[in-house]
Amino acid sequence: MNEERYILFDQYLQDEMAVEEKNTFENQLSEDLEFAAAFETFKAVHLQLETKFGYEEEREAFKENLTKISNKHFNKHKVIPLKPWHYGVAASAVILIGLLLYNYNQNPSFEDFNHPEQAYFTERSNANATLKEAERAFNSGEYKKAIPLFESILETNDTPEIQYFYGVSLLEANKTKKAEAVFNTLKTGTSAYKDKAIWNLALIKLKQKDYKACKEILLTIPEDYEDYVEVQILLKELE
Amino acid sequence: MGKIKIHPDQKYIEGLAVNNSAIIQEIYKKFVPKVVFYIKNNSGDQDQAQDIVQEIMILLFNQAKANTLQLTCPFEAYFFLLCKRKWLNELKKTSNKGVTITEDVGSINESGLELVEQTEQFNEKQQLFDAMFLKLGDKCQELLKLSFSIKSMEEVAEKLNVTYGYVRKKKSLCIGQLTQWIQENNNFKSLKNN
Repeated sequence: MNEERYILFDQYLQDEMAVEEKNTFENQLSEDLEFAAAFETFKAVHLQLETKFGYEEEREAFKENLTKISNKHFNKHKVIPLKPWHYGVAASAVILIGLLLYNYNQNPSFEDFNHPEQAYFTERSNANATLKEAERAFNSGEYKKAIPLFESILETNDTPEIQYFYGVSLLEANKTKKAEAVFNTLKTGTSAYKDKAIWNLALIKLKQKDYKACKEILLTIPEDYEDYVEVQILLKELE
Repeated sequence: MGKIKIHPDQKYIEGLAVNNSAIIQEIYKKFVPKVVFYIKNNSGDQDQAQDIVQEIMILLFNQAKANTLQLTCPFEAYFFLLCKRKWLNELKKTSNKGVTITEDVGSINESGLELVEQTEQFNEKQQLFDAMFLKLGDKCQELLKLSFSIKSMEEVAEKLNVTYGYVRKKKSLCIGQLTQWIQENNNFKSLKNN
């Protein structure tokens, strides 16, 4: 393997060459076809690796979200007639799940229901740099970093949407008291984030293991809430 | 590259790239029923249709992230053809018994067909790349994985408990190894164009 060559390629891509070195390198690229071809492939591999690992977290979040939406979509239209032998399978599955729940899962946990959605403010063309940075930090789970960014955005642009994502960041960063205050404000408003805020208030109680308060809050969420299925599942587990 | 006219349906691709739930839901509502109908009419069932759609969606996410997907035709035709061809491939792979294939009524223009082929190629290359990556030694795999997810090579060095100079050199050589294998592999020839 031509080790020297690959080290050079990397240095060039990282822009670490002195001017003179760079000129020599670029000259060689234009004159030596074989060298240029190897560099092109090296660059392509670099790109492949970037896509493969650079977006790993985002890809996982996408898959999770996709599965959720897909299941919702297909269940809505799915009526599977149970064949006779299915009853037996279904019955044993129920027993098995029952046993598992009985043994290990007395109470639902916050982690099971904690799926912060992705923010996407910056599709809009007027997005400024801070907003972009906040979105990036939030979507990659760096909530502590996102908090001060949202605070600075809220000074000039106090919208329910920003408030909501600010609240979620606080909750994820364990600043529960502050998060509660933010969601309570949203709850009294009329924005599209009202029900989501109530759901998050319930999640806070779940996190604090205050199951009774959690249930009480859940019962105030209207049935047309977009994730009502989650509400129902959590209510069921709280019984 | 000449100027290509991007179709307004590019919004679906962009929505997938940022994991926009509203866009994903819209795709399911508007375009998936047709795919399900087709697969059910061609020896498949609902669960199989669900899987095919999901795989194609992930493929589109990957291609969108690599910034190589520019729609020049309506999303519907493109998406349907991708799912359909994937399903026919699955059938060919798994079925020894004769299958009946009902031709669909949907049509797609030439640039659309080209686009579908590009996406299929993207997928093949990705799979080939993944296979080659697995041929690397464990050390290389780990180092590359860290280098491209953490980005700061100082941190990578710290994590692996080696020097900065070592990780930099090793990273170049690991990518070099992949480069060499790929150059030797003809199937990969046009990777750089995609």
